Order: sequence, then structure tokens, then C-alpha cells
Amino acid sequence: MEAGEVMVSLLILLPLGGSALLLAFGRRLGEPAAGVLGTLTVGAAFVLAAVAGGDFLAGGAHATHIPWFDWLAPLGVRAGLLWDPLSALMALVVTGVGALIHLYSIGYMKADPGFGRFFAYMNLFVASMLILVLADGFALLFVGWELVGLCSYLLISFWFEKPVAAAAGKKAFVVNRVGDAGFLVALMLVFAAFGSLSYEEVLGRAAGELSTGMATAITLLLLMGAAGKSAQFPLYVWLPDAMEGPTPVSALIHAATMVTAGVFMVARTGVLFDLAPVSAAVVAAVGIGTALYAASIAVAQYDIKRVLAYSTISQLGYMFAGVGAGAYVAGMFHLTTHAFFKALLFLGAGAVIHALAGEQDLRRMGGLWRRLPVTTVTMVVAWLAISGIPPLAGFWSKDEILATLFARGGAWRAVWAVGLLTALLTAFYMSRLIFLALFGERRWAEGAHPHEAPKVMTVALGALAVLALAGGVVNTPWRPGLEHFLEPAFEGLDLAHLPSGATQWVLAALSVAAAAAGILLAAGAYLRARRPAEEGPTWELLRRGYGVDEAYARVFAAGGQAVARFTDEAVDQKGVDGLVNGLGVLVRTVGERLRPLQTGFVRQYGLGIVLGAVALLAWFLSRGGF
Amino acid sequence: MNGSLTFLSVAPEIALAAAVVLLLLVEVTFKPRAWAWAVVAGAGLAAGTALSAWQWVAHRGADTGTFWNGMIAVDGFAALAGLLVFPLAGLGLMSAWRLAASQGRRGAEFIALVLLAAAGAHLMAAAADFIMLFIGLEVFSLSLYVLAGFTRERVDADEASLKYFLLGAFASAVFLYGVALVFAATGSTTFYGDGGIADYLAGTVIFRPGVLLAGLALLLVGLAFKVSAAPFHVWAPDVYQGAPGGVTGFLAAAAKVAGFAALARVLTAVLGARADDWVPAVAVLAAASVVVGTLLAIVQDDVKRLLAYSSVAHAGFILTALVAGRGGVGDMWFYLATYAVQVLGAFTVAAAVSGDRAGRSPLAHWAGLGRRAPWLAAAMTLMLLAMAGIPLTAGFAGKVAVFRAAIDAGYLWLVIVAVLATVAGLFFYLRVIVAMYLASPEEGASLPASPAVGWGARFVLAVAAAATLVFGIAPWPLLEVLRDALPL
Repeated sequence: MEAGEVMVSLLILLPLGGSALLLAFGRRLGEPAAGVLGTLTVGAAFVLAAVAGGDFLAGGAHATHIPWFDWLAPLGVRAGLLWDPLSALMALVVTGVGALIHLYSIGYMKADPGFGRFFAYMNLFVASMLILVLADGFALLFVGWELVGLCSYLLISFWFEKPVAAAAGKKAFVVNRVGDAGFLVALMLVFAAFGSLSYEEVLGRAAGELSTGMATAITLLLLMGAAGKSAQFPLYVWLPDAMEGPTPVSALIHAATMVTAGVFMVARTGVLFDLAPVSAAVVAAVGIGTALYAASIAVAQYDIKRVLAYSTISQLGYMFAGVGAGAYVAGMFHLTTHAFFKALLFLGAGAVIHALAGEQDLRRMGGLWRRLPVTTVTMVVAWLAISGIPPLAGFWSKDEILATLFARGGAWRAVWAVGLLTALLTAFYMSRLIFLALFGERRWAEGAHPHEAPKVMTVALGALAVLALAGGVVNTPWRPGLEHFLEPAFEGLDLAHLPSGATQWVLAALSVAAAAAGILLAAGAYLRARRPAEEGPTWELLRRGYGVDEAYARVFAAGGQAVARFTDEAVDQKGVDGLVNGLGVLVRTVGERLRPLQTGFVRQYGLGIVLGAVALLAWFLSRGGF
Repeated sequence: MNGSLTFLSVAPEIALAAAVVLLLLVEVTFKPRAWAWAVVAGAGLAAGTALSAWQWVAHRGADTGTFWNGMIAVDGFAALAGLLVFPLAGLGLMSAWRLAASQGRRGAEFIALVLLAAAGAHLMAAAADFIMLFIGLEVFSLSLYVLAGFTRERVDADEASLKYFLLGAFASAVFLYGVALVFAATGSTTFYGDGGIADYLAGTVIFRPGVLLAGLALLLVGLAFKVSAAPFHVWAPDVYQGAPGGVTGFLAAAAKVAGFAALARVLTAVLGARADDWVPAVAVLAAASVVVGTLLAIVQDDVKRLLAYSSVAHAGFILTALVAGRGGVGDMWFYLATYAVQVLGAFTVAAAVSGDRAGRSPLAHWAGLGRRAPWLAAAMTLMLLAMAGIPLTAGFAGKVAVFRAAIDAGYLWLVIVAVLATVAGLFFYLRVIVAMYLASPEEGASLPASPAVGWGARFVLAVAAAATLVFGIAPWPLLEVLRDALPL
């Protein structure tokens, strides 16, 4: 193995080893050693990724396959890693943001009885995510995919003694399983079509061998998996509930990394989506629909973390719209910048919650900027970034997606229009959050003493703020660095392109205008002394997320329970158990009937032998005759 | 054939016979202590095992060689039988050592009978002629008849012995009649060589094979009796239950090994040309055995009787391998060897629990054994799980092997029946385990004094447990060896 290959393998093994160590000795290591160990392994992995990925920046480096071992020999499946610009970018985002969040958690999880366990899970999560993004085939991708789901479950229900947290973890797991079922069927179809699960084989041969129908079936099923993992409509319901987990978990898993797995997977298998224009259009439609839908719900939430959760769903929708439209680079770009500013927002929200001793309701915050200066500054950066104010990171990536959508023309213009509206809503609900939480009059309880977070937390906030502020420079229209970087990974794909010249300026101006309008509207409503009551049926409907959750609960959960009850009582207890018990009774009865044959009299035994002999003789003579 | 090899071809039997004679002479002349018996018997069995090992090294994989005018076969098959029977007799003696030692001066006779039975069993496997096979069968059977009633203090042991003798004699007569009919049809009693039965059947088209097939049917009856396949199994429960605890294990294990060795050679090597005729009959016998054995085992309340019916079912499982003809012989040996060890281990525990002179071993004796004697209970549990065919025991590997052989031979229905019987069989095996671990002894029940386990029995259980686990976890090396080395 070359040095590079060792480095890439270590990338996974470091956090994996850290996790094993922490699981075994986390309790004994105690605070803060366990957190330092966890942070160091992820930080080291980031350095490795940066060094190994440097070659791609210089240009000329090729994608490398790193074979690990023969895995499922009868199926010809091998486990190995693929190191190319796309996986390098994802690895950098995961380890970089991951390391900062680990650092922050040392402060946030202070004095939690499960301190060691927390970092063990977090490390395991980073390792799983790296397996997911570095896999060189669908089989290993699926391993990472499932491990990530498991870690998500473990971390959402980290405080499992709280029934809500335990239920939220279960919900996330179950909803993800729905998507995974589709994903698994997609993998089976891939294997049926190609007899292989490696990217090299499948993506290399797809253009020549795959029919449009098969490609459409595979990609739609892949989308189902992606929608589960990336919380897209209709499988988004788990993400808002997932906010029951510790805030760093929300930042790392439910904003910056795991939920981007779906976007990454669509980008990785872009060749297949290229062959199935219908699926690509469905991806874009689901994405943009989810973006608008979730943004509208975010407007009415009071829980600071739920606002951010719906915001995440909405932003993921943008990414889906981007990759669906063939703007893979723009999608990945937004994924990256979003990881910066959304992690920052969550960590900032965590600092606010921390300061108010667990208070999450926006109605009982306000005027915190005096007490929390660092948090306020960094959150303001993140707010402007997500709203799309230039020159912050979010502006460049979001604008690139919107501009590309517009440039494709035709029905895509409608998608662009919805995206623009969503941008306005985004600016509005984010401003509402910031104004309600940090500015305006104080509404927190008497006796509370909000205080700035400790150093370890503010350092992480500062670093992320710098990234959210300047992250956009990696890919501006004048210097499209990321596009060049990622180009080899999307070679041969039908890529969407930015419009040229004046159109681009007009579109950018429109985006900025939408963002500014959203901010101004919010300022008009929430910076006044009397904030709006937010009452009435519309607000109520939005606050309840259009009642989708309740409907799911009524239809799927209750329906599922009814089916389970029926299966239990009618099928299992009466049918299966009855059959088994009945058979048992039957067998015993037959045995009892046979028992009297065993009389103990030799003459009867002799007769039995004779009868047996006669039967055998009859058989043989029937075959031979005399 | 090579004259100098002539005596070597029967060297294991000579070693055993010499040991028997020496043992009896020493006994009469010097009246020694019991350890002297052990030395002589051990030397005889060790010599027999060593000579079989030598035959194995020299002849495995090679064609069968015949000696003594075509009476004795020397090949991997016979050598393997020796390698299994002689150590098994040694283990059987260890298991029964307390019983033998408690019989005063008659103990030497007991040991001599076990050695004679071992010699007869090996002769059955090594016979290359029906006459020699019959001699081996009688040497073996007569020894067992006497062993079954050896203690002479319980009337049911005498009854068991007499029943075994009467029915065994009856079966022998049927077998002999079969030999006569086969001789009438083929003009020979010899298996191999020019003019032997196999040669005659391979080279001759018989237009009216009725006599031959009638003979085949009667041969099958005689040998099916020995291996206690249904419906010729009726003796087994009464004999197993009546015989003294210490000897039942050897009785059950040796009878299976010798009977199946003879059955396999006769059916596949000698009558292989008529496989189309006997395979369906064997399949029916196998199905009948697993079904009857399992059904009747379920309703037993006596562990020795339960094990007897389970041995009927196991006879069926082993017959399942034989429907594959020669291809199944390796699998048959695997099942046979592992089962023989298991059944010896199980009866050894039964002897410890209920006393090695006792006949019956009611389930009540087993209640709470897990607390009274945890090691005994653990050993019994392992043996029962292996017989039930639980994975990671040799019993599972053996079942997989014989089922696979039968499926390859196209007898899917038989395998389905056998698998269903296996599932049903779990019931009675687990019943004993439940009694050992979950039941408490009844108030005031007269339990035998706390189980006494001699060093011999401990050694037997350790070997049985080790073999069951080793060949359960890694069966392939042994299976490969058995399959490759048995061309017959």
C-alpha cells in the first residue's frame, strides 16, 4: 500500500479505533480526557484528509481505488475505498465540521453522566459517515448507510431515560427503515442488472447497458433511500423530532453530515440519474417542494431547534433541486456551505439554550445580545449566510443553484421561481429567530443568569463563523475553484451550467432582493415593541406542520398497530400457536396409540419382525417376480 | 494374494482373541486384582487399534484386497471400522468399569465378552464373504446377549437378555435364509473377485431375479434388526431398559457401528448393481425409523427407554445416507462415529444417575441434576443437543451430511420427513434438559444416592464432549477424509 492509501484507510480507522477505545474505557477516562481523545482522532482524520486531498487541488491526481479485502466472495463483492475529489470533499466536510463539533461538545456535555459514551457514539458516527462517503461500491456504501442510521438512533435517544427522546430515536429509525427498504431493493436491481456492486463496474457500464426503464426504477428506489436519510418529503417527519438529542448531535448529524448522505449518494450515482431524466426531474421536484414546504412550517415554530430542523429540511431540498437539475457541483457546494452555517446555527442555538439553562422556547428569550456577545456575533454571521446576503458563503452556493435552475429554461423556470420564494421565506424565518432570540426586549424568567459559553465552545463557534463568512470564496463565478476540483468526479455527465453575462447579474440581484425583503419584513414585525400575536388558523396549521405528523400517526402508526394486533391475536395465537400446539397433541396422541404395540411379549415382537419381513419381501418380489 | 500378508489381514482379530485368552488364563491362574484386567484388555484394544491404524495407512483409498480365499477384506472401510470399534470398546469398558469391578471374579468374563464383541464387530466390517459375515455377527451378538443379562440379580435384566437372544436368533435365522437365497441365485457367497457376487451381478442379466431379491429382502431384515431400524426395532427399548446401566452404552454404540458397517458393505459394494431395487426399500425403512422412533420417544418417561427409541430414529437418519449408495458411505461413517460417541456418553451419564447395575432410569431421577451434579448435567445436555442436531455439535454436522447425501440422490421427501422428525425430536431431548435444570426433585422421592462417577466414566464423558464439539465446529477435515478414503 502506498502512503496515500494508508492515509485514506486511517481516515476511517482513527475514529473507529477511538470509538472502540471510548466504548471500552470511556467511563474510566472521564472528563475531559474522553472528549479530548474523541476530538483528537477526528481532528487527526481531518489533517489526513487535507494532506491526501491536496493532490487533487494541485491537479493531475487520479482517483485511487484502495482494496481492503474480499468480502462476499461468492457474489464477487470486495470491500474497498474510492478516493476521488467527491469523496475527498465529503471527507473534509465530515471531519472538519465534525472535529469542531467534538470540541464544542467537550463544553456542552460537561458533567453529563454519559460523557464517555457520548464521544464513543460521536466517533462511531464519524467513522460510519466516512465509510459511507469513501466506499468504492454500493455494498460498503450500504454498510455506512446503516451504521449512520444506527448512530443517529443511539444519539437521538442518548438521554433515553426521557420517554420523548426514546420515542424520537425510534421514530427516526423506523422512518429511515422505510427509505432503506427502497434503497435495498435498488441495490438488488443494480446487482441483477450488472452482477456487481462496485461503482467502477456499475457506473462505468451503465451508459452502455442500462435501459431507461431499469435506470428509472433503480434511481427512483435510490431516491426513496435518499429521501429517508436526507429527510425529504414524505419521509421528513423524523428530523424535527430528532431534536430531542443533545444539540451537538443535531448540529453534526441532523444538519451538517448524515442528512447530506442522500444528496451525496445522488451525486455519486449521477450517471444513473443522467440515464433516467424522469427520476432526475422527480428528485428536483421533491427537493424544491420540500424546500418551500419546510420553510413555510419553519416560519411558525416556537422551539428554536425545531425552526432550525425545518430549515435544514428546506435547505436539503435546495440541494436535491440542484443535483436533480444536473447542477452537481452547485449541490455539493451548497452542501458544504450549509454544513458550515447550519452547524454554526445549531451550536449557537446550543449556546443560547445552555445560557438559559435548557430553555428552548423563542417566546421566553430575547435581548440576549448583551449577555452573549460572541454567540450573537457568530449567529448573526450564520443568519446572514443562510439568508443569502453577499458576500457570505450561503449566497454563492444558493445563488448558483437558483441561477442554474433558471438557465435550464422551460419548466425549470417554475422550479427557480419556487426557489426564489423559498429564499424569501428563509430570510424571513431566520430573521424571526434571530430577532426573537437575541434582540428585542428580554422575556426570560426572572432569576435566570444568562452567561457566555466556555472557551471550548466559543472557539468552535468562531472557527465555524469564519468558514460561514468566507467559505464562498472556494467557488465564485470568477474563480470556480470547487468546480475544477470536482470536475474529474463528474466527468462525462450532462452538467447544468450557469447563465452568462447580464442574466447572471439580474438573477443575483433578484436573490439578494428576496433575501433583503424577507429580512425587512421580519424586522418590521419582530423588532417592534409589540410583536405579532401569530394567532389564527393559518399560523396554527403551519405550527402543526400541516398536521402531517398526526395524519401519519393516525394512518401508519395506528394502522400498523392494528395489523400487529390482528397478527398477534388471530394469526399467531390462534393460527400459528394453535397449529403448533395441535401438532404437538397430535404427535403425542399417535405416540400413545403406538405404545401398546410394545407389549413386552417376545411372540408379538417376533410377529412384528415377520410382518416387516413380509412387507419387504412383497416389495422386492413385486420388482422381480418369480 | 501375498502369503505373508495373510495373517496380517486378520491381525486385529488375532490381537483381540489373544487378549481374551490371556485374560481368562491369567484370571484362572493368578486371580489378580482388577487393574491386571485393565492392563490386558487395554493392551489388546491398543494392539487392535494400532493394527487397524496400520491397515488404514496402508490401504485407504486403495482397492479392496481379499485374503483367506476371499473371506477377509482389507481396505479403508475395514480399517476405519477397527479404528472406531476398538477405541469405542475401550471407552465402553471405562464407562462400565465400576460395574465390572463390582462383579467379583466374574469381572474378567465381562471384560472378555466386551473384547470378543469388539472382535466380532470388526469381523463384520471386514468380512468379504457372507459366511464370514455371519460368523462375525454371531460372535458379536452372542457376546452382547450375555452382557445384557450379566448382573443376574434383576429379573428384568435376565428377561432383557433372553428376549435379545430369542429375537436375535430369529433375525439371524432370517439373515441366514437370505444368504442361502442369494447363494441360490448367484452361486456364490463371496463378495469380491472372479465369480464373487458383485462380479456375477455386474456381468449377468438375471431375467427372473425373484430369488435374488427375496434373499436381499431377508438380508435387509437381518441387518436392520441389528441396527434397530423400524419395524425391526422392538427389542431395543426392552433390552436397553433391562440391561445394566453400565453396559447399555457399549451395547447401543457397538450394535449400530457393526450393523451399519456390514449393511453398508453388503448393500453398496456387493449388491450395488441392484441399487434400484433396494434403495426405495431402504428409504422407506429410514422414514419409518425416524417417524416411529421419534413418535414413541416423545411418550417415554424413562430416560434409557427414551434413548432407545431415539436410537431407532438415529438408525433412520443413518439409513438416510445409504439411499445415496456409495456416495453416502462417507457421510454414514461420520454420522455413525459421532452418534456412537454421543450415545455412549449419554448412557454413561444415565448409569451414573440411576446406578450402573440398575435397569430403569425414570425421568424423576433426573430432576434437579443441574444442581446436584452440574458437570454430569452439562455433559448430558451436550450429548442430547448433539443428538437433537443443534448447530455447533457434531450431531448437526452429521445430519447436514446425511441429508445432503439423500438430496443429491433425489430423495427430497425422505429428507423432509427426517427434518420434521428432527424438529419433533427436540421435544423429548429438551424434556430431559428441562428436567435436569428446571425441575426440583419431588418431596420424599427416593433418589439414588448422589451420582457416583468413576474416573473411567469421567474420561469417557470428556472424550465424548470434546469429540462432539470439535467435529461440530470443524467437521470438514473428518468428512473429507471419510469421503476420500472409502472406495469400498
